[in-house]
Amino acid sequence: MMTAKTMKYFSWVFVAASFLLASAPAWPQQKNATELVVAAAADLSTVLKEVADNYEKKTGTTVKLSFGASGALTQQIQNGAPFDLFFSADMDYPRQLISAGQADGPSPYEYAVGKLVMWVPADSPLDVEHKGIEVLLDPLVKKIAIANPQHAPYGRAAVAALTHYALYDQVSSRLVLGENVSQAAQFAESGNAQVGFVALAHAIAPSMQGKGKYWEVPSDAYPPLAQGVVVISHSAHKKEAVEFLQYIKTKEVSELLRKYGFTLP
Amino acid sequence: MSQTRAVDAPSADSPAEPLAGGERPALDARCSKQHTAEGRAFTLEVAFRTAPGFTILFGPSGAGKTTLLDCVAGLSQPDSGHIAIGNRVLFDSTQNINLAVAKRRVGYVFQTLALFPHLTVQQNVEYGLTRLPHADRTTRASAILQAFRIAHLAHQSARRISGGESQRTALARTLVTDPDVLLLDEPLAGLDALTKTKIIDDLREWNRAHGIPILYVTHSREEVFALGERVIVLDAGRIVVQGTPHEVIEAPHQETVAQLVGIENVFDAVVDAISPERGTMTCRVDGDGGPVLLETPLVRGGVGSSLRVGIRAGDILLATIPPVGLSARNVIPGRIASLDRRDVIVTARVKCRVEMEVHLTLAARDSLQLEPGKEVWLVIKTHSCHLMQK
Amino acid sequence: MNIDWQTFRLTLQLAVTVSAVLVVLGLPIAYWIAFSRWHWKFLVEAVVALPIVLPPTVLGFYVLVALGPRSPLGRWWISLTGHTLAFTFTGLVIGSILYSLPFAVQPFATSFAGVDRKLMAASATLGASPLRTFFRVVVPLSIPGLITGIALSFAHTMGEFGVVLMVGGNIPGVTRTVSIDIYDRVQASDYGGANATALLLLVLCFAVLATVYSLNRRAWSLGLAKNL
Repeated sequence: MMTAKTMKYFSWVFVAASFLLASAPAWPQQKNATELVVAAAADLSTVLKEVADNYEKKTGTTVKLSFGASGALTQQIQNGAPFDLFFSADMDYPRQLISAGQADGPSPYEYAVGKLVMWVPADSPLDVEHKGIEVLLDPLVKKIAIANPQHAPYGRAAVAALTHYALYDQVSSRLVLGENVSQAAQFAESGNAQVGFVALAHAIAPSMQGKGKYWEVPSDAYPPLAQGVVVISHSAHKKEAVEFLQYIKTKEVSELLRKYGFTLP
Repeated sequence: MSQTRAVDAPSADSPAEPLAGGERPALDARCSKQHTAEGRAFTLEVAFRTAPGFTILFGPSGAGKTTLLDCVAGLSQPDSGHIAIGNRVLFDSTQNINLAVAKRRVGYVFQTLALFPHLTVQQNVEYGLTRLPHADRTTRASAILQAFRIAHLAHQSARRISGGESQRTALARTLVTDPDVLLLDEPLAGLDALTKTKIIDDLREWNRAHGIPILYVTHSREEVFALGERVIVLDAGRIVVQGTPHEVIEAPHQETVAQLVGIENVFDAVVDAISPERGTMTCRVDGDGGPVLLETPLVRGGVGSSLRVGIRAGDILLATIPPVGLSARNVIPGRIASLDRRDVIVTARVKCRVEMEVHLTLAARDSLQLEPGKEVWLVIKTHSCHLMQK
Repeated sequence: MNIDWQTFRLTLQLAVTVSAVLVVLGLPIAYWIAFSRWHWKFLVEAVVALPIVLPPTVLGFYVLVALGPRSPLGRWWISLTGHTLAFTFTGLVIGSILYSLPFAVQPFATSFAGVDRKLMAASATLGASPLRTFFRVVVPLSIPGLITGIALSFAHTMGEFGVVLMVGGNIPGVTRTVSIDIYDRVQASDYGGANATALLLLVLCFAVLATVYSLNRRAWSLGLAKNL
C-alpha cells in the first residue's frame, strides 16, 4: 500500500522526469547527418524554404532557416548567434560583418536583387495596378506601411522611392513602420494599413495568390536592393556551408529566385 | 455584588406583555437554519418573542447564539422563518422578504467590537449618522460620547484606546443610531469587574430612555443577574428553557441547564421517602462505605424513582465543630481532601462518602484554619438541593 | 548621443493613462474577485491572470487581426472612430490595459480580501450601503495593495515592448515608445544612443517605484495596513 510519503516521492520523481523529457530537444545531440543553420532576411521566407527542401533531397544535409530583419539578424550574429550563413536583404549588413571579422570575406556574394512593390488588398478600391504611386494621394489611404528605414533595406528603398516621387513629405505623417518588411506586409494584409511597400517576393508568394494587387515600383526610383550572402566565421560546419553557398550559385536556384520575384545581378 | 444588582433590577412583571404607550415594538423571531459549529452540524430552531428590555441569550459556545444574532441582523440568512420588529418584517421565507442589513435598523455590537481602526473615536461614532446634517451629527455624537464618558477620546485613533474604552466606543457607535433592536454579543468579555459595572449602568440608563428589545449574549452569571429581565437558554440550536433569571439559573429543572449555569455537585439519587405534608422528601445518594441521605424539596415521583440532585458549591456551609441549632436539615460529616485557591475563592473538596465541592472565602479558610485532612461538617439547606430529571 | 525626449513623454503618457484606467476598471473586478462566492469564480480569476503568461504576440495578433478592419468588431470600431485600432495611441492603451490588468487586479483583490469581514458587517449594520462600505472601510484599509497595484501597472507599461511592437507601427510621437526606440537603435548599431536611453528609462522607473514604495512604507507605519 502506498503511504503518503511514497506518493509524495513518486510525484516528485514524475515531475522531475517530465522536466527532463520536455527539455530533451534542447540537449546537444549527436548529429547523424549534418545540419546547417541559416539566418535570412524576411523577404526570402518562401523561396529559401523551397531551396532548402531541394538541397536536403539532393545531399541529405538539413538546412534550418531563421527569418527576420536583416539588422536584427546582424546584431545577433555579432553577439555570437550560432548561424552558419546569413542571407541579408542588402549588401551593407554582410559587409559590416566582414569588417568586424565575423564573416568570411573578401566580400558578400550577391545572390539576388530584390524588387519593391506597392501592395493593396484584393478588395481595395485603390487601383494600384494602373495608378501606381498616385494612389497614395487618395484620401482613402490613411496609413502606409513600410519597413523601418532605420534598419530594414526595404524600408530604406521605400523612403527612397517616395522621395524620388516627391511624395515623402506629404505622406510621412501617414507612415507606419514595421520591424521588418514582413511586418509591413502584415499591416497591409490585415487591412490596418491601406497600402504597403513590400517585397515582390511577398506579393507573388503562393499563399498570397489572389489576396492582393500590386504595382512594381520602377527600379530607377530607388537604389537597387542588392542582396548579399556570407558564411559566418564562427560556423562549426564551414565545409557544408561553403557547399551550400556553391549550390546557391547554380542555375537551379537562380530559376527559383526568379520565380519568386527576384532578379539576378 | 451581582446579587444586590439582581434585587435592584427593574422587574418585568410579565415579560410577554406589551408595555404602555410610547414604548417600542417587540422583536418576534422564528427561524430555522442548518448550522455547523466546531465540527458539529445541527439545526438552529428557535421561536421567541421579546418585549422591550434586556433578554439574555445564555448557552455554551457553538449553541447558535451568534448565528441567531446574525439572522436577526441580516448577516446570515435562515433557511426558513419570520423575523419582525412590531409590524416591520425583516425576513419572511414564505413571502420572500429579506431586508438588506443596512435597512434593518438593527444595532449590533460584535464580540470583536469591529471598531474602524483607520478612524477616530468620534468618526467611528458618527459613522452611522450620515443621513443627518453635519451639525446634528456632531451634536448627537458628542452627547453620547459624554454619556459614555469617552468624550476626552474623541480625536484619538480607535486603534489606540484601551479595552474598556473600545467597548464603550462600540456601544456608543451602535446606540447613537437609535436602532429598533439592539444585539450585543458578549460585549463585556475580558473587562474587569469595575468597568463592567460602569458600562452595565450606562446601558441600563440608556435602556430606560429608549426601551427597545435588547438581545444580550453572555456566559457570565453575574451579567445575567445584573441585566436580565428574561433569560433564554440555548443549547445545540434549541431553546432549552426561558424565564426570569431566578427561574432559569437558580432553580434549573434540567441538567443541561445545570451544567450551563455551573452547578458543581451533581449526583445520581433515588427517592427513599416522601413527606407530602412537609413538602420535602429524602433522597439517597450512594457513596463509598454507605449512602448519603439528603432532605430535598418535594417533586413529583414516587419512592424508588431515580433522579439527579444538584447542589451549588457556593450553597454549602462548612463547620469545624459539629453544628447545633441550625435550620438546615442536611448536616454531613466529612474530611477535607484538598484545598485550591483561585483568585478570591477557595475551592475545598470534601470527602463524605461522596465528594463535594465547596466554595469558601479566604477569610473563612484562614479563620477556620482549614487544611487537607481536617474533619469538617457540611451544612446544606433543603432548598439548596435542586432536583433534575435523569 | 541624442535622447529622443518625445519617446519618453509618450511612454510616460501611456503609463499614466493605463494606470489611471486600471484603477477605475480594476477596483470593481478586484472587489468581485475578493468577495464573490460564485462557484465558478476561479475561471474569472484565471482569465484575469492570463496576460501574465500570454506572449504579447497573442495580444498583438488579436488587436491587429481579430480587431482589424476585416472583423465585424474592427469595422464597428472604425465606424465609431474613423480609423483602425492599430497604429494609434488608443490602440496601445487598450493593448496595455489588457496586458497589465493582472498586475493591478491581483494586488487590489488580495488587499480587499485581507480586510476584516466583521468591519464590513459592522458598517452594514450601521446603515451603510455596500458602495459606501467599499469606499469608507474597504478602500482605506487596502491602501498598500492599491499602491502596489498602481505601481506595478505603471512600471509594467513603461517597460512594455511586445504589444507595442506588434501593433504600434512605430509612429513618432504616437506609438514610438522608449522600448521600441532602444530596440531600433540597437538594430541600427547606435549602441551609444541605446545605452543612454536604456539607462535613463531604468533610472526613471527606479525613481518612480522607489517613491511609491516609500509611500507604502509610510502607510504601513501609520498602521493603515493593519487590520485590527
